[in-house]
Amino acid sequence: MVACKVKQKSKALQWFIYGGLTLWLVVASLPIVWTAIISFRQYVDAFSSPVKWVAPFTVDNYTALWIDRAFYRNFLNTALVTVGTVTISLAVGCLAGYALSRYRGSLGFWLLLVALVFRAIPHSSLLPSFFTMFDALGIRNTYFALIFVLVAINQPFTIWMLRSFFINIPSELDEAALVDGCSRFQAFRKVIIPVMWPGVVTTGLFSFLLAYNDFLLSSALTNAEKMTMPAAIANAIGAESEALLMQGVAGAVSITIPLIILIVFFQKQIVGGLTQGAVKG
Amino acid sequence: MKTKTFFQFIGPSLALMLMLMAAPLVLTGYLSVRNCSLQMELVKAQENTPFGTQEILAHQAKLDRAGNALQTCEFVGLDYYRKVLGLNSDNSVKSAPAQPVKPQNEFYGALQFTLIYIFVTLPFVLGIGFLLALGVNNVTQKLKGLFISASLLPFIITPVVAALSIKWLFRDNGLVPYLLSHVGVQVFWMAEAWSARLLIIIYGIWHVVPFAFIVLYAGLQSVPQDSLEAATIDGASRWQKMRFVTVPHLMPLIVFLSLIHLMDAYRVFEPVMVLTQGAFTASVQYLTYFILLQENNPFKASAAAVLTLIGILILLIPLLVKTYREQRGGM
Repeated sequence: MVACKVKQKSKALQWFIYGGLTLWLVVASLPIVWTAIISFRQYVDAFSSPVKWVAPFTVDNYTALWIDRAFYRNFLNTALVTVGTVTISLAVGCLAGYALSRYRGSLGFWLLLVALVFRAIPHSSLLPSFFTMFDALGIRNTYFALIFVLVAINQPFTIWMLRSFFINIPSELDEAALVDGCSRFQAFRKVIIPVMWPGVVTTGLFSFLLAYNDFLLSSALTNAEKMTMPAAIANAIGAESEALLMQGVAGAVSITIPLIILIVFFQKQIVGGLTQGAVKG
Repeated sequence: MKTKTFFQFIGPSLALMLMLMAAPLVLTGYLSVRNCSLQMELVKAQENTPFGTQEILAHQAKLDRAGNALQTCEFVGLDYYRKVLGLNSDNSVKSAPAQPVKPQNEFYGALQFTLIYIFVTLPFVLGIGFLLALGVNNVTQKLKGLFISASLLPFIITPVVAALSIKWLFRDNGLVPYLLSHVGVQVFWMAEAWSARLLIIIYGIWHVVPFAFIVLYAGLQSVPQDSLEAATIDGASRWQKMRFVTVPHLMPLIVFLSLIHLMDAYRVFEPVMVLTQGAFTASVQYLTYFILLQENNPFKASAAAVLTLIGILILLIPLLVKTYREQRGGM
């Protein structure tokens, strides 16, 4: 009889749990799902009173955005900036992360502590200096400057994360190579690189997200033709014109699709990366 | 590893951070106590009027040989800090007889909202994240994967896109006001300060809950089962097991999440920019951006930036102390 009672209680609890989780799923996905729905409508159907649950289907917003306003150019800019940022971040970060995982002196510790402070710096605080420096060098509004800024901003996080992966690779591996007469760099190349890929993929994903999602630096450091997708969509923020607004809606969905694909393929790595930092402190 | 090898490996990374983070920080401090203005000169110009050509004197920016405008730069001390903080001790202002201009403390307002944002979102992020972690822990394996995937989106979505989506959801003739009108609530969300601020906070909670959820869910997997069983045998209720076994086990993660949230929420920018366009409220990061790009004043923006940096340093102290202890302990 007692057992029955317990079972009934957990059934009620079970309902409560599923109800709560379903509610969260709705809340979590509503903004982007609703944006996706209205992106296939004309303005009058997208924002109407009362709200329309069903409305005529149209892809006008997408054709206007991608063809008339040449959003493909922004897409290519984003591709260039993100690929550049991820590649350089990882190349530079792997060397540093490896060094930090193997060096025993206290200098490494202080560098990590400073990196932690750098990670917390609000990006807009650096902008006045970036403007001054890049104007002096004549490289403001170049992909080059934007990519290197994103790499630098990314470094503190990247080296912390890669270091925690490299620490888990037993140092006996590369030390054995050193004993066999390899230099540090050869040991790194021949022994560490082949086994480091899981960590690199996870770190790369987060570098990608940082570069891809950045709005503040991209919008301030580039203009017109060099803008990335998030910077270009800023037009829609205060859009008065209905056409411009609807293009913004289509743009928002366009920017989100690659991220959804990313989740589908790399869910494990993203979750792993998120919990990694927590477990390691 | 030898110190020399260490520097060879870490060199490129260090160089980048020195050039594009450390140096700009120093430069910001330097810019914040200076001011540059265009050198103006009076030039004779000819003006064609209906009454014939006249010679007039006009102000014009002085140009150097290459045709660039010449600037005069000077040291202005803490003037811009006073301006940003609204402590206007400028003589010109004092001597103005009628209607003393009420100095506007831009930074204080921005800081106030930033802190409200941090400390209002934090308990919701931790609370909802914890409940979700507990909930997902109790569903079947198949649903877990689906649920975690779906939860990731708010966290990794482009912030400016997320803020825009929420704006469209809440704007006039949007979905949420329509649904709320059925229960008799009518709010023009973006038209008033309190509701615009509430929207930013809702965005903040929505955006970070998945992170807390996933970290806490991972933590739940490592709660020692034998402690839970022992507690059950001792007759502990569900609540007591939670209170005395699960939560203490998760405490380090809760501290970690709080510190990360402190750091990230201090930088809140996109929702402020998108949802209010600075009309009712600013965050510290938005303030610098606004002064730099709208007021077009890199010197005043630098002063705001330095104040922002002082703020984050103060907030960071607990995290630095924690890391210092852990890393030192580990070495």
